[in-house]
Amino acid sequence: MPNEPRGAALAAALALSLLLWACALSAAPPGPSAGENLYRRGQLPSGEPVQALREGGATVRGADAACVNCHRRSGLGSSEGRITIPPIAGPYLFAPRGKSLEQLRIPFVDTARLNHDPYTDESLARAIREGVGANERPFNYLMPRYQIDDATMAELIAYLKEIKVAPSPGAGTSVLHFATIITPDADPVKRRGMLDVMNQYFVDKNNAAARTKAPTLYSSHTTMFRVERRWQLHVWELSGAPATWEAQLRKHLAAEPVFAVISGLGGSNWGPVHRFCEAQSLPCLFPNVEAPVGHDSDFYSVYFSRGVLLEAQLIARELAEAREPIRRVVQVFRAGDVGEQAARTLQAARTGSAQQIVSRVLKAHGASKDLDAALREVGPTDALVLWLRAQDLKALGAVPVTTSRVWISGEMGGLEQAPLPASWRAAARMAYPVDLPGRRVVRVDYALSWFRIRKIPVIAQQVQADTYLACGLVSETLNHMVDAFVREYLVERLEMALDHRALTGYYPRLTLAPGQRFASKGGYIVRFTEPQGPRVAALGDWITP
Amino acid sequence: MKARTQGRLLSALLCAGALVVAVATAATVSRSSVSYEPPAVTLVRADGKTVSLPRELDDGRPVLLNFIFTTCSSICPLTSRTLEEFQHKLGREAARVHLMSISIDPEQDTPGRLSAYARKFHAGPEWQYYTGTVAASLAAQRAFDVYRGEKMSHTPVTLMRAAPGKPWLRIEGFVTPDELVDDYRHLLTAP
Repeated sequence: MPNEPRGAALAAALALSLLLWACALSAAPPGPSAGENLYRRGQLPSGEPVQALREGGATVRGADAACVNCHRRSGLGSSEGRITIPPIAGPYLFAPRGKSLEQLRIPFVDTARLNHDPYTDESLARAIREGVGANERPFNYLMPRYQIDDATMAELIAYLKEIKVAPSPGAGTSVLHFATIITPDADPVKRRGMLDVMNQYFVDKNNAAARTKAPTLYSSHTTMFRVERRWQLHVWELSGAPATWEAQLRKHLAAEPVFAVISGLGGSNWGPVHRFCEAQSLPCLFPNVEAPVGHDSDFYSVYFSRGVLLEAQLIARELAEAREPIRRVVQVFRAGDVGEQAARTLQAARTGSAQQIVSRVLKAHGASKDLDAALREVGPTDALVLWLRAQDLKALGAVPVTTSRVWISGEMGGLEQAPLPASWRAAARMAYPVDLPGRRVVRVDYALSWFRIRKIPVIAQQVQADTYLACGLVSETLNHMVDAFVREYLVERLEMALDHRALTGYYPRLTLAPGQRFASKGGYIVRFTEPQGPRVAALGDWITP
Repeated sequence: MKARTQGRLLSALLCAGALVVAVATAATVSRSSVSYEPPAVTLVRADGKTVSLPRELDDGRPVLLNFIFTTCSSICPLTSRTLEEFQHKLGREAARVHLMSISIDPEQDTPGRLSAYARKFHAGPEWQYYTGTVAASLAAQRAFDVYRGEKMSHTPVTLMRAAPGKPWLRIEGFVTPDELVDDYRHLLTAP
């Protein structure tokens, strides 16, 4: 009997420690597998870089030798020039000979080749080490011969077998689910404009799909036509503090699994949405965000441009090249608006310069006399950078101009529609991160006439044109994907499709690549040419800072 | 509706075509002797200097030219490594050969990014990288017949010339560093 309580205590202690252990396990998400580390980063389980040789003796190692460089994150391969890089996701490697992808229910990928015996673990290891395929033919020179021990090879092969080619969540047999995300601080007018365009785009898309019946010709290639699915839009409207957004988004995603997020609208903080998309491996394609977050090294979030952060770089370049000395740069922005992030970017870009950079922060909301006070002690040897919205620009009329070197944000001010008072027009230059009005007119008109025919009021022209462009780019990319509804493949195909695109809306060119996540890279510095109205002229060429 | 169906048929045919091409081009290297007329465009070198393309090509040294972009993850790392090995194999003689790599993605490849790329491949001072406007890069690509529509369609091409006024040796495909050294020596001794 006396043993009993002790036994119970021991059992309780054991249970507790088990619980703690389980909690510790669940708290720390499992790191990437050894196979994934090798595939994506070229790293061996020891932490050392993998080594590989090419015919002729050239060596390649580490990240440069990682499988992902050519076979891509999806494992579905790619093509560059005339070189096709086959998919190496398990189903393609181990497919029995003589059957079609369709019979095997494997997605159609244009670089897949099934004219070889199915690999075994042994023949695959030999292929990776010696560069000889299952049909005894040597691989292209591009494929290195890897020096990998047996245990690591087993890990790599296990990873290849695990790569999923089945449709990602949100890609059903008859419906493709998409979301768009709106943060609570987003502009309500832009929100309405964006949703009008998206809802109509989805209606049009589904009407067109309903009219199209799978043709009987090429019926043996039904995979080619499995692409016709209805599109369904889920609008995820966030509320409350940014710290709660990621949890809200996870809830939305669990309730409504979507294949990808198209467009979207942010205010001054898009970080939680960006992090959510990266963490959930969810493509977030071309949101309307003035200050994007993240890096080119992220994968799932793709933006049209860096917005005001790009403007900050354009202005920093102007400041660096100023002919007459600038003693001090005064940046003015409202607390909590994207101008704050732009001002930080500009300051970072001017690190090490002799120009002193100071900030004048206006209250988030407030009267224009704040502006007057902030600008009072700006002198002729100072430069002034105004990260202000239309309403504040309008109020400048009551403020004297004390320096001839003023830069304003085009994105925040409303581009050529910015209501900049006549007294400021001679001194002010505008960072202009889109194509010039006269040059983009044909491309933007395409969207505008689409709106006109469908009776969509134009209330936020650039947001609406960009939203229309985002929908079009996703639609076009999906057409290239046939029935391979894999989220990573969507991003990869988008990278490839974008270069072909002629109708690029507000942007002169859009390009992406692995490691490029901002499609338009540059902008102009412009100046108003008349005391009133929207006429602007570029002060130089398109600049890519 | 009809256009849509045709589009699909076309993409099906294109896919089939791509497979045929893939089988037909197994790492073969071909060489030809060609004359080119370099356009009088200005480029921006990785050191930030604005330079004239013809002047850079005609600095008197033998020149080896290729086209790359820094975010290219398959072909360019290999061709750049080949040039690195080529420099290494030439040893002290490497200083007498001007290596030039021109970006085909000039908006992304700023001088800063090109410099970082050059360091990665241990480019010596005689190996220079160039960017510039999209128009200037396109003009250079077209003049040397390497323009293939967009950056993802580019093919491995190495161009070599012994001296200004001489013809170019055009090498298509993945040439090994040893072959490249042989090509270079042969080109210098050719009449």
